[in-house]
This record gives sequence, structure tokens and C-alpha cells, in this order.
Amino acid sequence: MTTPRKLAVKALRYMLIGILVVLAGFPVYWMAATALNVNSQLYGTGQVAWPQLQHLPDLVTELGNVPIGRWLFNTLLIASGGTVLSLTLGALAGYALSRFKFHGRGLVGFLLFMTQVVPEALILVPLYAMFITFGLLNSLWGLILANVGFSLPVACFVLKGAMDAVPYEIEESAIIDNCPRFSVLTMIILPLIMPSIAAAAVVSFFAGWNEFLFASTFLMDRTLWPASVGLASFVGQYETPMSAVLGAALVFSLPAIVFFLLIQRKIVAGLTAGAVKG
Amino acid sequence: MVRLLPYAFILPPMIYLLVFMFWPLSRQMYMSLTNTRIVNPNRGRFIGLGNYERLIEDPAFYVSLKATLVYTVLTVIIGVTLGVVAALAIDRPFKGRAVARAILLFGWAVPGVAASLIWLWMYNERSGVFNRITELLGLGRFSWLTSTDYALGSVLAVTVWQVAPFVMLVVLAALQSVPQEVREAARIDGADGISTFRAVTLPHIRPSIQLAALLVAVWSIRRFDIIYLLTGGGPLGSTSTLVVKLRQTAFEGHELGMASAYGAIGLALALMVAAIHYTAEQRRMKRMSR
Repeated sequence: MTTPRKLAVKALRYMLIGILVVLAGFPVYWMAATALNVNSQLYGTGQVAWPQLQHLPDLVTELGNVPIGRWLFNTLLIASGGTVLSLTLGALAGYALSRFKFHGRGLVGFLLFMTQVVPEALILVPLYAMFITFGLLNSLWGLILANVGFSLPVACFVLKGAMDAVPYEIEESAIIDNCPRFSVLTMIILPLIMPSIAAAAVVSFFAGWNEFLFASTFLMDRTLWPASVGLASFVGQYETPMSAVLGAALVFSLPAIVFFLLIQRKIVAGLTAGAVKG
Repeated sequence: MVRLLPYAFILPPMIYLLVFMFWPLSRQMYMSLTNTRIVNPNRGRFIGLGNYERLIEDPAFYVSLKATLVYTVLTVIIGVTLGVVAALAIDRPFKGRAVARAILLFGWAVPGVAASLIWLWMYNERSGVFNRITELLGLGRFSWLTSTDYALGSVLAVTVWQVAPFVMLVVLAALQSVPQEVREAARIDGADGISTFRAVTLPHIRPSIQLAALLVAVWSIRRFDIIYLLTGGGPLGSTSTLVVKLRQTAFEGHELGMASAYGAIGLALALMVAAIHYTAEQRRMKRMSR
């Protein structure tokens, strides 16, 4: 029983979806189309509106003139180091919040929530001063330490949520047998929540991968630049062909797109949990 | 012994946050009361509210405050509206839903710096795709990022592209908890689509919408990368939000004390948003328990 009215509503809905998909997808499509285009066309007669795969070898050559490999390697170091640190600390905090009632629990929740409200820029200057004192300026270590302050709480929220779903009975017998609580966490709880650990790892990893403000302030040495700072250095300089700039941006974006799409629901759960229960 | 146990777990992460987040934060608040300069960031003289007095007299401060407020409010309104509309549009199954959903998330998944580069190219005055389209339409070229008329709107477009998908995800998750039977019952009772939405669906997803709005607002106050890369805060400060202004005052103007004062205002704004969210949340809880 499809009335004309229902049909019209359906058509409108598909049209709306179509428009939204084009709006959301076009910039990424255009990035690919620009990367795979002849550079003289980009500024002259206008670029061809579709990606031309036959230009892939040219793009690879162009990318060879940009230290994108070095940048991505630094990015990888920053992101992985931050992930290890924020998962370790996040698991400890998550376990404490999930399994214990203790004095100061409310304060901990409040502080964790605060980290999601405080603008990163607000601790930029004091960290800069602190890093000068401790020789952490112009060092990947300093950058990792700064990043983790913001990714640790999200990791904690994701892991706590997963631990809450693990019944207490599972660890009870181990506790009665006097197994140390730290081993209970690492041997019993963590193996049970592997999917959430993976999700927390992805969140932390890409927080470090995407980070720009701290990296651009703390790292002066070009050889230490991660891809975010390296790519940003293309802004306002015209020696690098636009196809190479957007090709590099594409290479930098693809891992983020793939992993964000894979674990979208978990990320949302982690980001919203902190604000609900804070 | 048992009572100390929780602290063995909670202390390492908390000490970490104290050292790398809350100690710097309190230093920042103190620094806003000093005349610290970048040449010797660990030594500055206490000058009381001097920086804030300068701030109040500085027209650039009001420009920055206005930019922050306008940017934040518009991002929330447009980003949340589009996110909710998108969520409602793709909530029910249709052919190609998974693909549509994935594409709708692109803006959220692309790193900020990469997003800035794409949009800088699309906004390019001579060769960007937007001006090629407006020229084809006979409208001529626009200075998307360098004219005070369009710069904030152009930055907003990129921001909405980033945050609307997140709102969509949050609302989609909430929509799954709307009981289908209630929706069906309302429809059988003769309620049309719009009244079913207002009576059944909206009350269910409203807390999630509010939460998404809170996060989007806070992120707007925090956001640095795309604004800095797209416009650098210009033209004439029309996009210089407090955070951009802070970084410029500190590392281009070398005045750390003054920069900290900008930061304190930014923090106050972010806290205000969080407080509004909590008050609303408390009221809702009370209403529900009655």
C-alpha cells in the first residue's frame, strides 16, 4: 500500500541522503582527484574532475622529493609511544574506577572530565617552560608526554566501560587464592576485554597521529617533524606541486580513515562516557 | 592494606595528570598574573591583574572573544542540526546504507592538518574548485579565506564537515535505543511521521543531542589546527579565536603573561559550557525521578 505521499517522502529522503553523501565525500574525492592529476593543469586549464590513474607513477616520483617517509616514521614513533603509555596508565585508572570504592573517587572523575574540557593551548606555554628546564624541548619524548595527558582519560573511559561488563565472580577465586591484584588485572581482566583494548589503542594512536599544536611548538628540528607539522609546512609555500601536497595528505589520511571507520562506535562510546559520568 | 590497594592503581595515572596537565594548568593561571616573556619563561615578575587590565582595554581582545563566541555558537547550531538530520535520514535500512554511512564519516576521520590542506586547495582563489564553479555560474571569484565577509563562514564549513559526522554517530547510537513497538503503536494510532518523531523519538535522543552539543562546543573553543592553517586568525582578526590568539601572543608576540590571560578567558568559557551542560543534566534527572 504505497500512497503517492509515501513515495514522495521516500524520494525526498533518498535525495537528502544523496546530497549529504556528496557534501561529506567530495573533499576526500577531490584530494584523490588532485593528487592524480597533471600539475600544469591544476593551475592552468583547470584540473580534470576525476583521478587519472595513469599519473600514479608521476605522483610517486613527486612524493620522492618530499621527506614524507621520514615524517611518517616520526609520526609512527610519537603515536606508538603515546599509545603504550596511555593504555598502561588508562588500564590502571580504569581498573581502580571499575572495581574499587575509595576516597577521592569523585575528584578523580572530575579531573578526568576536566582533561576533556581544557584547551590544549592552555598548557602549551607552561609545558614549553617545563620542557626547557628538563631538556625535553625539541624531543619526541617531551611531545609524547604532553600528548598522553589528553589521550589517557579517553583510554581510561573506554577500558573502564569494558571492565564494568566483566562479572566480579571471574576474578573472585583468584583474589581468594591471594593472587596479587595487579596480576588479576593483567592475567584475567585484560585478556577478556581485548576488543576494547584495541579500540582504546586506536583512539590513542590517532590522537598522536593527528596532533599538530604541541608538535609544531615543541619540535624545531626538521628531522624530528611528524607528518602533521611537515604537511602544514606546505601551507603558503609554492615549490611543492599541489598534486604532491595532496598526495602526501592522502597517504597521511588513509590509515586514520580506515581505523576510524572500523571502530567508530567504540570511539563514540569512549568520548561520550567521560562527559556523562564525569 | 586493602584500603590502600585502590591507590596503587589510581595514583600512577593521577600523578601523571598532575605533572603534565594540572601543574602546567595552574602555572598558566599564575603566569597570567606575571609579565613573563619567552626569552626567560621561568622568570617573570608578579604584576597582579595588569595583563587583564590591558586585555579589557584592547580592542583586539573583543574581536577575538566575539570570533570565539560566534564560531562556537554557529558550529554547534549548524553541526548539530546537520548531524541529527543525517542520523535520521540513514537510521532506517536501505540499499547501500553501509557505504553511505562510511562516506558520511569521512570529514570526521580525516586528520585536521590534511583537512586543512584539502580545503585550502578547494578555496584557492585562482584555481580552486569553488571559484571555478562560481565562475561557471557567472558569479565571479570569491576571496573565501582572505575577505572578512567570508573567512569565518569558510572556516565554519570545514569545521562542520568535521563535527557533524560525530554528532550523527552519537544520535544514531541513541536512535537504536528507541523502542520500535512504541513507534509502531503511535503510527497505528494514526500519528503522522512528525508527531511520532516529536512524541516518541525526540525525547529519547534529546540527552544524546545535548551531550553532542556540549562536546562540539568545547571542541570549538579548543580547536587550533584548521583555523590556524586556513586563515592564521585573519583577515583582521575575524577568525582569531582565543586559542589562536594565545599561541600567537606567546610565540610570535613573545608575551607569555599576556598569552596566559587569553588562555584564562578561554578556560572560563569552556568551563561555562560544561557547567551549563551539567545544570541541564541535573534538571533532567530530577524531572525523570519525579
